[in-house]
Amino acid sequence: MATVIQCIADNVVSPVGRTSVENYTNVKAGCSGLARYEEMDRVSSPFMLSRIDRHLMDELCTGLGIPDGKYTFFEKMLLTSSIQAVRKSGIDPSSDRVLFIISTTKGNVSLLDRDVKGFPQERVLLGRSAGMVTGYFGNPNAPIVVCNACISGVCAQIEAMRALQSGRYDYAVVIGADEQSPFIISGFLSFKALTDTPCRPFDKDRTGLNLGECAATVVLKAYDGPACGWVLEGGAIRNDANHISGPSRTGEGSYLALMEVLRKCGGTQGLAFINVHGTATAYNDEMESIALYRAGLIDVPVTGLKGYYGHTMGAAGIMESILSMYAVQDGTVLATRGYSTQGVTYPVNVSPDNRPAYGNRFIKLLSGFGGCNAALSYAYYNI
Amino acid sequence: MEEMILKLKQEIIEVLNLEDVKPEDIDNDAPLFGEGLGLDSIDALELIVLMEKNYGIKLQDPAKGKEIFKSIKVMADYIQKNRTR
Amino acid sequence: MTDMEKDRNLKYTVITGNTVTVCGRVLEHEHTGSVMLTEIYRTHAGDWPKFFKMDTLSKVGYLASELLLKELGGCRLEAEEYTSARAIVLFGTTASLCADRNYQETIQDSDNYYPSPALFVYTLPNIVTGEIAIRNHYRGETSFYVLDGFDAGSMAFHLQRAFCDEQTESVLAGWVDSTGNDDFSCFFTLLYREDVQDLERLETELKGIMDNLNDIELWKR
Repeated sequence: MATVIQCIADNVVSPVGRTSVENYTNVKAGCSGLARYEEMDRVSSPFMLSRIDRHLMDELCTGLGIPDGKYTFFEKMLLTSSIQAVRKSGIDPSSDRVLFIISTTKGNVSLLDRDVKGFPQERVLLGRSAGMVTGYFGNPNAPIVVCNACISGVCAQIEAMRALQSGRYDYAVVIGADEQSPFIISGFLSFKALTDTPCRPFDKDRTGLNLGECAATVVLKAYDGPACGWVLEGGAIRNDANHISGPSRTGEGSYLALMEVLRKCGGTQGLAFINVHGTATAYNDEMESIALYRAGLIDVPVTGLKGYYGHTMGAAGIMESILSMYAVQDGTVLATRGYSTQGVTYPVNVSPDNRPAYGNRFIKLLSGFGGCNAALSYAYYNI
Repeated sequence: MEEMILKLKQEIIEVLNLEDVKPEDIDNDAPLFGEGLGLDSIDALELIVLMEKNYGIKLQDPAKGKEIFKSIKVMADYIQKNRTR
Repeated sequence: MTDMEKDRNLKYTVITGNTVTVCGRVLEHEHTGSVMLTEIYRTHAGDWPKFFKMDTLSKVGYLASELLLKELGGCRLEAEEYTSARAIVLFGTTASLCADRNYQETIQDSDNYYPSPALFVYTLPNIVTGEIAIRNHYRGETSFYVLDGFDAGSMAFHLQRAFCDEQTESVLAGWVDSTGNDDFSCFFTLLYREDVQDLERLETELKGIMDNLNDIELWKR
């Protein structure tokens, strides 16, 4: 029998909730973590941000027994999420049969600000920061950090699947997080990519993206046997080979990634919905609609979560997959908050309301700077 | 105006890392985007920064940039009329 | 494995702050650091003006891949063909640290606050893979992994894993670091499926290449 890769535990820590269940329940009820900021530090233009309250994070750390003063905010994000997921999973995280994989775009980059003090500069090195997490758990394996722009969360799950299929590991703890520091906010502002109103994925009046903070974890297990529970069926990563920041006008990489996932994972059979990137920029959403159309998926229900969380960078691929799992089990296609009127060339099957979901599978699609695109497929089998 | 156009060309060459381009290579009326210098979307954003940094002109709407950056001449005229530095 | 296969060594390029080697051959140059990169570009890898917009990490990675692909011959695609058969999988410790610092300078001082989009776009190490993909029309997998220090074992393992994608026939693989505009090092190699079957051997080869890189750096100092 082929090796099955099963998700045995998960967690999401965000402004919307501290557990996956809390996050899902609140999102289903329409709650968003987004708020408008007139300015932040040296950033003097307004923007929307879904920001984790620092005091609540400290409270959560205390509750989980994470010592004060030892970890940066980014590391606390990784730890608060992974500790909860690992506890739920019941695995021994100190075993050498467990691999830690971390997904982030900028990690501790806020330490580069000369006004930020309290931690050694070397913690800006992503591997060093990741080592703080494996050190906490007493895990002997060197962690690997996936730093593949906004698709990192999907890539990290794909890499975990491959690592587990090798037989070298029994479990993978995959954690994604990004702190929204002035570094990132100012950068996206310089790209004129942000809007200071709630983002509107696929809408004809969409004006740009919102940013968000989130930490999310999945614990994956490898076993030989019948498929059971949430199974990671496969994934693919493809590059547009077109431009380093703008998406391909023909949605090339997204299209190729989708086609490969469809080929590997049984086509559209049982496909309840596709959770898209849906950043609400003019180009991204248009590109995604083209990719979906070309892949023969234009009629499949589509859902986007950026209207609740903003763009959570390294956490996106993991958090959006987790919420999709809960949605499928709840028989729901979550509303695409912020969407109202169709605004892309190929009308995607998107709705501002929650809808019934039919099927036991979902596909997660993402795109990122560097022309990269990634898709994965999860399927649920009754236990 | 001549002096200003030369300075603008030098600034553009420096800011956009147009290593093998000299001011005399840039035709005042030639399109900056598409053909001509073949600048792209990131270059357009950098020109917006240049306008603010060197001439105190703030451009909120990147779409407006397309008209202003049509050619060196158009850009220079706009700067002349709107500069605050 | 036949004797010929046992002797098969990976072909690779090395670039450090003052040395460039292509499949064991040292390239002559006058300068060091960022000026050396420009010199190598003009002498050996021209015809791509976008080079001058790149950050240091991308310039280094781009040059190393160009020199390797030119040397190996027939590996770049003909005409306008695109392919998903070649992946680009890179590793490093410093990731985009050099670009991060350069961008931070544009936002550090509130009296001189001009965030640069051209610098910001390079504050992601995977942009190197994007630049190489664009140049070569590679529409396969592109990834960047960060490890805390060179680790031949992890690098070998994850490179082998890249071939789990059935469409991937070869992987342009490399280790690339940069801590400053004149401070960088990398090696690039091209792997086919048969190169990753024996994991121990691959790990030994990668370690050997890195040892060679370190020897070059020590000798030149």
